[in-house]
Amino acid sequence: MAIAKAERLMNLALCLLHTRRPLSKRELRESIEAYTEAFGPGRGGAGSDDSFNRMFERDKDDLRELGLVIETVENLDGEVGYLARRDSNRLPPITLDAEEAAALGLAAKVWQQARLAGAASGALQKLRAAGLPEDVDPYEAHGALEPRIPVHEAAFEPLMLACRDRRPVVFDYRKATAAHPEPRHVEPWALECWRGHWYLAGFDRDRGAERVFRLSRITGKVRSRGARFTAPVPDVVTVRETVAGWAGEGADRSARIRLRTGSGYPLRAKAVSVRELGNGWDELEIPYGHGLDAWLVEFGPDVVVLEPEELRADVVDRLRAVAKG
Amino acid sequence: MAGKPARPVNAIDQTRRMLSLVTYLRERPGARIEDVARAFGITEDELVSDLDVLPMCGTSFRGGDLLDIDTDGERIWWHNPSALEAEAAEPLRIAADEATALLVAARAVATLPGLREGDRQALLRATAKVETAAGEAAGASARLSVTFESEGGVFADVDRAISERRRLWIRYYSPARDELTEREIDPIRLVSVGHTYVEAWCRRSEARRTFRLDRVAEIRILDEPSAPPEVELRDLSEALVQPAAEDPEVVVEVGPGGRWVAEYYPHDSADELPDGGLRITLRTPDPASLRRLALRLGRDGRIVAPLDLAASARQAAREALLAYDGGAGAAHDGGSDATAYGAVSDAGRAGPSATGAEAAAGAVYGTAPSVPRGAQGVDDRQEQGL
Repeated sequence: MAIAKAERLMNLALCLLHTRRPLSKRELRESIEAYTEAFGPGRGGAGSDDSFNRMFERDKDDLRELGLVIETVENLDGEVGYLARRDSNRLPPITLDAEEAAALGLAAKVWQQARLAGAASGALQKLRAAGLPEDVDPYEAHGALEPRIPVHEAAFEPLMLACRDRRPVVFDYRKATAAHPEPRHVEPWALECWRGHWYLAGFDRDRGAERVFRLSRITGKVRSRGARFTAPVPDVVTVRETVAGWAGEGADRSARIRLRTGSGYPLRAKAVSVRELGNGWDELEIPYGHGLDAWLVEFGPDVVVLEPEELRADVVDRLRAVAKG
Repeated sequence: MAGKPARPVNAIDQTRRMLSLVTYLRERPGARIEDVARAFGITEDELVSDLDVLPMCGTSFRGGDLLDIDTDGERIWWHNPSALEAEAAEPLRIAADEATALLVAARAVATLPGLREGDRQALLRATAKVETAAGEAAGASARLSVTFESEGGVFADVDRAISERRRLWIRYYSPARDELTEREIDPIRLVSVGHTYVEAWCRRSEARRTFRLDRVAEIRILDEPSAPPEVELRDLSEALVQPAAEDPEVVVEVGPGGRWVAEYYPHDSADELPDGGLRITLRTPDPASLRRLALRLGRDGRIVAPLDLAASARQAAREALLAYDGGAGAAHDGGSDATAYGAVSDAGRAGPSATGAEAAAGAVYGTAPSVPRGAQGVDDRQEQGL
């Protein structure tokens, strides 16, 4: 049976951490059992060096992903060697009290996405190894608070990596009202989760402007394209403000409606003022932004728009469409 | 604690964990399996599988020692800690992805309205220390952010009631019926998934229910003790809403402008239509509750089945129009009973605005269900809306 990958990675990591001088690829190949077993004498044959080289490169990349800083050094003979210097791999001193430890314990459980859940646990484990106190989480004590970050969109992980590595991406995107998706070329800046949905902000190369995309509308695969982009990424990307703007938040006008007594609690909760008319109806002043017409129509005959005329006309228009069936 | 995310066996995660484990065990001869598993946030089985691998590992450059680590099933013993120099076993620096995962989550929790102030301060202090320790690796965490929505005052009351084990009285808005109901609940836990919910035992229905905090119109902590029956805590993160197989079927056809329905409503199927629209089939225990969706859709869609639901939407629209056609906005006082309109779950936002938006947001007007798809017990549905 082939030696498990975790065992191979662990041995490579320990060799690189332990050594004080750079170890050549040949030395590593000869001393790590997983390599000798797969590529040692008698196992060779054409392509064996290539396969070893590929595996070795992948293994180094994997160790770098978990945070190991591996240096490549050339010796006097021109031979390349590798080592993980202690100075560059040591966690700087960090002291956390029990409350801070508990807070991080709660935070480490929040991700619902495998890669980030693994990374968060990994961070916590490194801190534990460094002496992070092991007091129980105050919420966990009674199991009362469970924040969870949902990630259901397949596009999330490739976009997260592309944002991190500043790699331009291309994906098919279906706009809210469009029948068919269209390819988009984007320099990804940041991902933001709001109300349980993920959004991407970035620079749309075809449109030459900043755009925000909803991940659930990306169809098919996200492909990473070419070299890193060098255009600056804004320090502050206001995904939420942009999305909230489309959704009608930040309304600067107001509308007057009549609402049947006892109904439409969410409208009342948003109202600037409520006046009882006494005839089974109340009059409300509510903020008026994009999308209010569609919302008011949901309440059917329990809502009557008084003003402005524009909103009244939109609501009547919608009601007529439904009435026609 | 329920809801631990499933961890598929991943060689990178396991290697990362074993490296920390080596550091940790070196300082703690005879550490108990139970304690180590808890400290590392893993199951005892996962720990034991690590302990199976570790004796195969070492700094084995040309016959160096393997780590002689074993366990008697209760405690863990490392017989040759000198196989690894102290320096090679120092705690490792935090990687970029690790810093991102931990910092983004910690910042998100710190923004939860209603969180105890002491806990918020602890989160902020810890975040700052981890940022410093991670150094440059912390930079990438600026590329991700998460906001939890919650009603701070309600959250704080629920949190207090849970810790003091007291019953709550609430007035709760049910979008399905567009009405407020009063009930007493024994709170079990708070769950934030985009929106924040309280899972509780409802004394009125004698069943487990899930309430969304922004639909709690009023809340009071009662003197009576809370006594929820022992219930198995399910993983709510995957799914707060799930229709049951025996629920009636509803078919909605939408045009391109109504495609958002498929994003907000858990459904059985969504088939493309030639005009760029969708034919969506979903199930709900209370089809009348979808009348609200039919009204919202306007010309962007219509209910195909059941027929009486389609008819009730048409009827409601005609009745509403009377108030306008009947003259200068006079409130129509016609005899319909408001509670007959089983409004439900609020739809998502329709299309983009005239500003050329590329995405439409979760509803601000009308509170989108905004819950993940998948499974949930039948008993929670009523309070949630579909």
